[in-house]
Amino acid sequence: MAERGFVAKTTMLIRKDLLVEARARDTLPPMLAFCLTVALLLAFSIPGNTVMQDAVEIPIGTVALADVIAGFLWITILFAGLIGFARTFEVERADGALDALLLVPLDRSGLFAAKAVSNLVYIAVVQVFLVPVFALFFSLSLGADWLVLVLVIALVDIGFVAIGTLFASLAAQTRSRELILPVLALPGLVPIFIAAVELTSDLFLGGGLETVAARGWFGILLLFDLVFVTVGALAFEFAID
Amino acid sequence: MNEAAGPSDHGCIELAELSVSYGSTLALRPVDLTLYEGVTGLFGPNGAGKSTLLRVLAGLLRPSSGRATLFGKEIRASSESIRRRIGYVGHESGLYPRLSVIENLTLFANLYGVPSTRVDDVLERLDMSERRIAQVGALSAGLARRVAVARALLHEPDVLLLDEPYANLDDDAAERVSAAVLDWRAPGRVAVIATHGAKRVKAFADAGIIIQRGAVISYRRKSATGYEVAT
Repeated sequence: MAERGFVAKTTMLIRKDLLVEARARDTLPPMLAFCLTVALLLAFSIPGNTVMQDAVEIPIGTVALADVIAGFLWITILFAGLIGFARTFEVERADGALDALLLVPLDRSGLFAAKAVSNLVYIAVVQVFLVPVFALFFSLSLGADWLVLVLVIALVDIGFVAIGTLFASLAAQTRSRELILPVLALPGLVPIFIAAVELTSDLFLGGGLETVAARGWFGILLLFDLVFVTVGALAFEFAID
Repeated sequence: MNEAAGPSDHGCIELAELSVSYGSTLALRPVDLTLYEGVTGLFGPNGAGKSTLLRVLAGLLRPSSGRATLFGKEIRASSESIRRRIGYVGHESGLYPRLSVIENLTLFANLYGVPSTRVDDVLERLDMSERRIAQVGALSAGLARRVAVARALLHEPDVLLLDEPYANLDDDAAERVSAAVLDWRAPGRVAVIATHGAKRVKAFADAGIIIQRGAVISYRRKSATGYEVAT
């Protein structure tokens, strides 16, 4: 039998992770429960008669509702993601499978890619659930700009899972990994999530693709994605070894 | 069984001034050793440093000083060509408890590029064919141990490193494991089997190392006249 290539082996590991999660349900249910609880609590913190306004139109001393709701959305995603990422290597640690995995003839970047894609699937499922919940609770209406929001979410997710997976591999080797992961990952994630809030806020205020693409934050997001994916793939070997 | 395969003078694994420390604790004192083809038993009480030595040989633990070479190449887990030649079973099974026996072994067979018929072969050899669809998490510790040994043998490695492979096994199962190792044994292949119960491995080992408190206190190789001191 001819030995399979990098992509085929990486795909096998992704399939394994998703199959294990489908049976164990250790990662997604806690992430979804966290999201629903936080969204519900936040919904009660916004008065029912508030409306979205552009920042230039709001009185001094008040805040733009679009910024607040975009902030709520991304903070919820951030912490739901950290809950999930902390469990990234639990499936490998449980019975020492990590040792067996580290010995298979696959480049470490393949292990990184498999874990990152698995995390991407988890965070995407969370967002598919959370964004409609936010739309319902906060009366969001984006019209055709939903697709632009999907683009922004996809770009944020790439950097988020890259840095989250890298630091999850470091945190997995410590006893208090759930505590260590946010300490390690949050400083690197701050620029991505500021960009996410700024761009999402623009969309909530009626800005379309042109508005979003013209913002400096869009370029920053692309840059950080590139840097984090590259650093993640290269540094993973040292982190996991 | 390949009973004819015996000890030879081909050094497969060489350790030079190799030591391992965990913080201020010296887990393995500086050791110089050459391991030859065949089966070497690694004996010693709990905490002697057997598992540490095996992890270094597998490339899973970086030594604090000195070097270890496998067939002349430095052992590093990051080297794919080295990894491909190693079969390792640690203290734990190294399997996914939520996957079945066949799913676990097929996954590793595919990762190593081994035909799926080989999975059936190793399961048969370890008398685990009837448990192929059982989830590993539902198996007893002894049965999971046998699947772990099957996983290590799947890709027919040149170096087999087994850490307490007889743990939780009944006599019949232990005999199966020993038979599987003897079947695997061939010229140019080296196995290191760590155990604190020496009797079972001594029955077929070509060499034996006794390790205590991180220091190798005895290394003997089988010869025509008995066991001779080796270096």
